[in-house]
Amino acid sequence: MKKQTMKKVLAFALAAVMVLGVLTACGKTPAGSPQSSDPVVIDFWHHYSAQSAENETLMNVLIPKFEEENPGYKVNAVSHEWAELHDKIIVNAGSDSLPDVARLDIAWVPEFQKMDILVPLDKEMSDFSEVSGNLLDSAMSTGFVKGNYYAMALNTNTKILFYNEQALADAGIAVPQTMDELYAAAAKLSGTNAAGQQVWGLNEPALSGWNILPYIWSNGGAITNEDYTKATGYLNSAATVDTVKKFADMYKEGQFTGFNSGDIPMTDGFGTGRYMMLLEGPWKTAEMNGAYPDFKYGTGNMPAGSGGSHSVLGGEDIAMFKGGDNEGAWLFMKFMTSEFAQEEMAKCGQIPVNKTALESDTVKNAAFAPFLEAITTAVARPPVASWSEIDNLLSVAVTDIIVNGADAQTTLDSLAAQVDTLLAD
Amino acid sequence: MKRIVTKKSAKNALLYIFLLLGGAVSVMPMIYMISTSLKPNGALYEFPPHFLPTAENITVENYAYIFGQEKFYRNFLNSAFVALTTVLIAAFIATALAFCLARFRFPGRKLLFGLVIGTMIIPGTTLIITQYQLADFLNVTNKLWGLIPFYVAWVIPFSTFMIKGYIEGIPRDYDEAVYADGGNVFTVFFKIIIPLSSPAIASVSIFNFLTAWEEFPWALTVINDNLKRTLPIAISGFFGQHQFTQWGYVFAMSVASLMPVIIVFICFQRYFVSGLQSGGIKG
Amino acid sequence: MELRTGRNKRQVALLLLPGVAMFAIFTIYPIIKLFFMSFLQWDFGSMLSQSFAGLENYKAVLGDETFRIAFANTIIYTLVTVPGQMILGLMAAVFINAIPRFRVSFRVIYYIPVITSWVIVSLVFRYVFNTEGMLNYVLTNVLHLTDSYIAWLDTRWGGLSVAMMLGIWKGVGWNMVVFLAALQSVPQELYESASIDGCGSIQKFFKITLPSIRPTILFALVMLTIGGFNVFTSIKMITGGKPMHQTETVLTWMYYKAFNTGEFGYAAALSFVVAVTLIFLAVLQFKVMKNNEAN
Repeated sequence: MKKQTMKKVLAFALAAVMVLGVLTACGKTPAGSPQSSDPVVIDFWHHYSAQSAENETLMNVLIPKFEEENPGYKVNAVSHEWAELHDKIIVNAGSDSLPDVARLDIAWVPEFQKMDILVPLDKEMSDFSEVSGNLLDSAMSTGFVKGNYYAMALNTNTKILFYNEQALADAGIAVPQTMDELYAAAAKLSGTNAAGQQVWGLNEPALSGWNILPYIWSNGGAITNEDYTKATGYLNSAATVDTVKKFADMYKEGQFTGFNSGDIPMTDGFGTGRYMMLLEGPWKTAEMNGAYPDFKYGTGNMPAGSGGSHSVLGGEDIAMFKGGDNEGAWLFMKFMTSEFAQEEMAKCGQIPVNKTALESDTVKNAAFAPFLEAITTAVARPPVASWSEIDNLLSVAVTDIIVNGADAQTTLDSLAAQVDTLLAD
Repeated sequence: MKRIVTKKSAKNALLYIFLLLGGAVSVMPMIYMISTSLKPNGALYEFPPHFLPTAENITVENYAYIFGQEKFYRNFLNSAFVALTTVLIAAFIATALAFCLARFRFPGRKLLFGLVIGTMIIPGTTLIITQYQLADFLNVTNKLWGLIPFYVAWVIPFSTFMIKGYIEGIPRDYDEAVYADGGNVFTVFFKIIIPLSSPAIASVSIFNFLTAWEEFPWALTVINDNLKRTLPIAISGFFGQHQFTQWGYVFAMSVASLMPVIIVFICFQRYFVSGLQSGGIKG
Repeated sequence: MELRTGRNKRQVALLLLPGVAMFAIFTIYPIIKLFFMSFLQWDFGSMLSQSFAGLENYKAVLGDETFRIAFANTIIYTLVTVPGQMILGLMAAVFINAIPRFRVSFRVIYYIPVITSWVIVSLVFRYVFNTEGMLNYVLTNVLHLTDSYIAWLDTRWGGLSVAMMLGIWKGVGWNMVVFLAALQSVPQELYESASIDGCGSIQKFFKITLPSIRPTILFALVMLTIGGFNVFTSIKMITGGKPMHQTETVLTWMYYKAFNTGEFGYAAALSFVVAVTLIFLAVLQFKVMKNNEAN
């Protein structure tokens, strides 16, 4: 009796596997009809998040258009989470399973160049200068490492101030224009709300370079010299130390938070009125529209300190890998930096780097118009191969100061010495 | 007499209370997950928080989104295909190994058993770097079926160990009777060992199914294409950039991926316990 | 059994072949390769050509403060979750074994956490233990046990505690089933004669039940210790090693070193340190239990 049931179970399982096998096998070769000439597949990895408008545009507008213009090519676009894309490329670098082309955070380019996996474009592509001439010089400089261009600029961005409109109006304060006004506003906006919950004046979702550098730079601090060869004297300078100390004080006073694992995520905290101000990029607009469509917020410039108003330059490059289909990759890179593609992406919040696209009406009327000005004064993170490692050490040190109350000067002194050796490599 | 009965039922009542409390703790997170999946995305950090969605904001929009995506079905089928194939292959291979180890002396038997035990001890994740290089060398990275041999290799030691313990409890007289009738090793294996050790096979198969169904680091590392991803990778994919997580989608997808497993388990739990009961774990 | 005929020998060889081949290719070969890698200078700067580094990687692992934290965290996790799961699992098994009705229902309910995936329950725990989450609300605003919210996930001990609670919560069911199976194989006569001697339930448990299920306890102990060292997904999902790598475990730190900073040689050496520790612990557990049995 029992044996028979067991047999039935096994038979059922076997049948299920076979059905599934057939289903998945069908999926791999669409409709099963072999085509006369198989198209060349270009593997493209990116980190447009899976359910974003950018990804929709990529899949439904750009790739079909590219395939139409370039018969014989098919693009296999693969979306990864941001940090995961970095790790994936490292994993695959040891083998030869890298994609043909990828969208990279500008901060990763020097690191991957050092790993010797990127193709030097100005050396290999005869029409390089023609193509790069259409793109902003400042953005193109993010692809320039050790004498060659290893990537094309794809899009650019920076962070500006987002604030809770109602809260500022209720407190009777104007939008902060200077760092001192920002600190004062953060102090005033913090406290408890009507429901008795704690609210914080200022939010940062992490304490890495991307998060704290705008404050450090605007206060006249720095993390390295201009040649990116030395950190001592910059990372532990009075201006840098004072800025970090100020944030440690604000954290203690309950005016600054968001970087602990248990904190409310940034978008939810902002949308539910728990975080009053934050620095964020152009993508925030779409996220807020999606999750908190009724929430009223305003934007303002990055507040200026003694060093000026310097936000952090973000953005992405597009690069091709050694050992891939460079010809197809180059076609795709040219397409993605073309006026058409750049203008389409501008419609969903990606700030173009193509000069003609920047002149278009789409761009002039776009929601990201406030960011365009901030970009002109934004500063790039040090374009050095060891940036990921430096960034990790930096965030550990700053966390130690802000959360654990470690002494800012001594912590940054020893960090600067560590960074010096990393920069020397 | 009556006093003994009341004392006994008082004791039982106490046991039931304890068990109910423990049971509540066991299922509470699941219920909270289901309830959260029925709330709109914007209501997740509401105040005061509600354990259950309120009548006016209960919604199925998260499920509508998840089930409206073709990708979801694909991820689901991928997980099911990988898990079921792993289970079947591992069941056969591990039973064969266990049978040989339990019944025969052959050169290298001690070494093989030692390696089975030894590799059971080493965490699978530690091998991820070299297994990745191997997968790359064999050209099976970014291939759904390429996951299977690695999963099978991971579950074989434990499965073999458990099934071997069970087979040792099957009297050798059965084997001898088959040999006396002119049968050979294959006849014993297929006619005696597989049917009689099926409870143990079934119980390790449930573990193996779960291992493959929920495996995370390896699939994350070797699978690239969206359409080849398994469910855990798809779920973790909802953690967006810039710290923006749509918890409603995450939990709706989690519920959808959990339900089949729970249903299958409830249907087969009888086999599962009987397999563990009779000798598989006598140590 | 000795094999008599050549045919039977061939058949045994055929049965062994797939398993041995799978094992050799997919498990043994990667272990050996990893062993060699642990002596190589292998990182980003040297992706294509690796030089021999001697014991440098091992020195780096043992001298690394974060590794020491990760190792200590893993040991603590194991020391807390293993007895936690075993005691609660054994209690559940004894209780379920003693009740007249609904045994199957309780067995199923207690087993549900075991079959849920680590990724999913880690997310649920992260959400529940969020500083602004449900648990703090209940503790503070409803029960008034504390005045302010507890930052569960923000400190080393808080983050580890949540991971350990998850580990215990998820493991009780497995222990319950394993011990239930063992309890049902304890001969009834032993209990009957103990009753005649006037032993109460608690005495019976310590005098008869525990000694009878000793092999199962050893089995569970070894299995759970291995499981404790395997902790990875829950930490990665709940704290991600934050703050300042204070909640890393050996495996999350290994993964981080390999795939985030690309120090493959270091990660390989770390893997071996972990493997050797585990083998040592398993052998120790067997020895101790065997000695106890002999006494």
